[in-house]
Amino acid sequence: MTVAEFGSFAELVLTRSDERGDADAFVFLSEGARGTQAEHLPYAELDRAARDVASWLQERRLQGRQVLLLYPSGPEFVKAFIGCLYAGAVAVPAPLPSEQGQHFRRVSGIVRDARVGAVLTLAEHAPEVEAWLAAEDFGDVVCLPTDAGPVGDVAAWRDPQLGPEHLAFLQYTSGSTNAPKGVMVSHGNLLANEAAIARATHNTPDTVIGGWLPFYHDMGLIGHVLQPLWLGTRSVLMSPASFLRKPARWLQMISEYGVNGSGGPNFAYDLCVRRVTDAQLEGVDLSSWRTACNGAEPVRAETLKDFAERFGPYGFRPEALFPCYGMAETTLLVTGARKGRPALLREADAAGLERGALTGPYLGEPRRTLVSSGVADGEDFEVRVVDPDSRIEQPGGLVGEIWVRGASVASGYWERPEVNAEVFGARILGQEELGAWLRTGDLGVLEGAELFVTGRLKEMVLINGRNIYPYDVESAVRSLDPALGAGAVFGVDAEDQEHLVVIHEVRAAAAGSDLRTLTTSVQRLIGQEFSVPAGNVLLVRPGTVRRTTSGKIQRTLMRRLFLGGGVTALHSVLDPGVRDLVESTVDTARAADAAPAPAPVG
Amino acid sequence: MSVPATDRPASTEHTEHSVESLSSWLAERIALYLKRSPSEIAATVPLAEYGLDSVAALSLCGDIEEDFDVVLEPTVAWDYPTVEALAGHLAEELRALAGEAR
Repeated sequence: MTVAEFGSFAELVLTRSDERGDADAFVFLSEGARGTQAEHLPYAELDRAARDVASWLQERRLQGRQVLLLYPSGPEFVKAFIGCLYAGAVAVPAPLPSEQGQHFRRVSGIVRDARVGAVLTLAEHAPEVEAWLAAEDFGDVVCLPTDAGPVGDVAAWRDPQLGPEHLAFLQYTSGSTNAPKGVMVSHGNLLANEAAIARATHNTPDTVIGGWLPFYHDMGLIGHVLQPLWLGTRSVLMSPASFLRKPARWLQMISEYGVNGSGGPNFAYDLCVRRVTDAQLEGVDLSSWRTACNGAEPVRAETLKDFAERFGPYGFRPEALFPCYGMAETTLLVTGARKGRPALLREADAAGLERGALTGPYLGEPRRTLVSSGVADGEDFEVRVVDPDSRIEQPGGLVGEIWVRGASVASGYWERPEVNAEVFGARILGQEELGAWLRTGDLGVLEGAELFVTGRLKEMVLINGRNIYPYDVESAVRSLDPALGAGAVFGVDAEDQEHLVVIHEVRAAAAGSDLRTLTTSVQRLIGQEFSVPAGNVLLVRPGTVRRTTSGKIQRTLMRRLFLGGGVTALHSVLDPGVRDLVESTVDTARAADAAPAPAPVG
Repeated sequence: MSVPATDRPASTEHTEHSVESLSSWLAERIALYLKRSPSEIAATVPLAEYGLDSVAALSLCGDIEEDFDVVLEPTVAWDYPTVEALAGHLAEELRALAGEAR
């Protein structure tokens, strides 16, 4: 099973369908009135349905064009996605707005940016999709429901004869709603990363995959939908809402179907620890779970420990915990824990980390527990830590920006040449001959080959496995009430989790309601539209939010001011953990101001 | 919802929940999702003020289904935005359900 075997992922699926025939590619679990229902999608059926969609796309000359996929989690998404690959079209997966209670605003940005030629969806959603396309003046974009009988002519389908350089899909997880950026993932990138994932996880054609992650999310798509096809195995899937309603369903699925490989962001493991009851675990056996990927947001040592303790009695093995690191720009996985041993934890001196060095820990000094994101396989990736300003490579033990290169790294964002030169075409000073690197925007440190992610250069906030772009939140909040002005949104780390902080200027006299009501509606908007808690909102006097002379919001400065107690609010709500954090920072600063710190005793 | 006359005794399973007991159950659950202590959750304060998000709203619906056998859409957490309002709504749903069961 080497990459060179296949010219494209389409070719791979054709081969797998021949090999596997009527064996299940996917089993989709859904909750109905009669309990859990399982819908089976065999390889041969997936192949036939994909040829049908592909022939329709080819007939409309959409080969090489972008095709938006708006589906809930289920078999129709997979058929349509593979259909795009079979047609030589470029799939563009996106969340179905109505399902999330969110607006079409974000998808409109994607349609414009990607210059989408067609939208594929379910018959039940086609009317609202058509209405939206008409309202947005996307008159030349066709909408096709794919679940209401055959759409094309299977016999007319032609193999598009793709090579590894052809684009497979655009992954829109990067960039704000205002300026969405689609990562261009080629067939070659996809084949390379699926191979890298199998190498890191020791997955084989006998590995059963399963999970609940959304298919428009890179981890769900690459890890739970395309990895099983690459392996030629089967994958058991359920919707994110099924999991969020009852996290126990994830564990019950693993037990019932003997799932070996399944993952999610750190918050999912945390949810299981807090919400799964003993009664729900009756008869659950997690001993089949060999790789429990934990990625897409910071991996917390506490969560790993709690999860292993809570579910150990149900057969869960701590060696299964698989902290990993990756992003859409690298297709998915870059590094993963070494298999066969528990996650590597490293205690480090907190002050040292603040200064950018992995040192200590020292007796009696504050420490931070870092979780290793594992190692990169030299066959797949090279990982360096580089000073982001000087572009000089940092030696082991020093923090810098994580730079990456390898066959899985995408060629760039769709139609963003300037950004691509900066982000995908970076050169290490004095090592220019090595060629281009991807700047990840993440901060980290190498110790030996182990990568520890320590923070972020970019302003994105990661909560509930979601990438939150401050600009999006700021503009959504501003649109709530004309009295709301400029805002600064950022993340702070308190009590072992990331919290969103929202600071907005308000002209109190002009506000349509009292400030408390206004604050609550800001919180409600963020909680509902962005699906993350907004426990910290400060409404401030105009002029409080700092800007550069060119008008750019200084979020990093506002964050520092906030943590130092330097933001005075007209009205505010704060999460208790964040309040404590601010108070302790202020106390420390006051103590330091009042007198020189005494030499530590003992 | 009208309750048809019947000879069978009312299901105690559904009628034993008072608004008070539902309120404390809700406060306890919501505190768990939002990583706070139940005493912090005041019955008349909008849940959004504690940082309620759609993950917590789905969690709440899942737990209500688990403990009370009532299937609700996550929008209830926004339509009935306080513990007090939610408890009232839940009590009503349970009464309706008990009515149907007769």
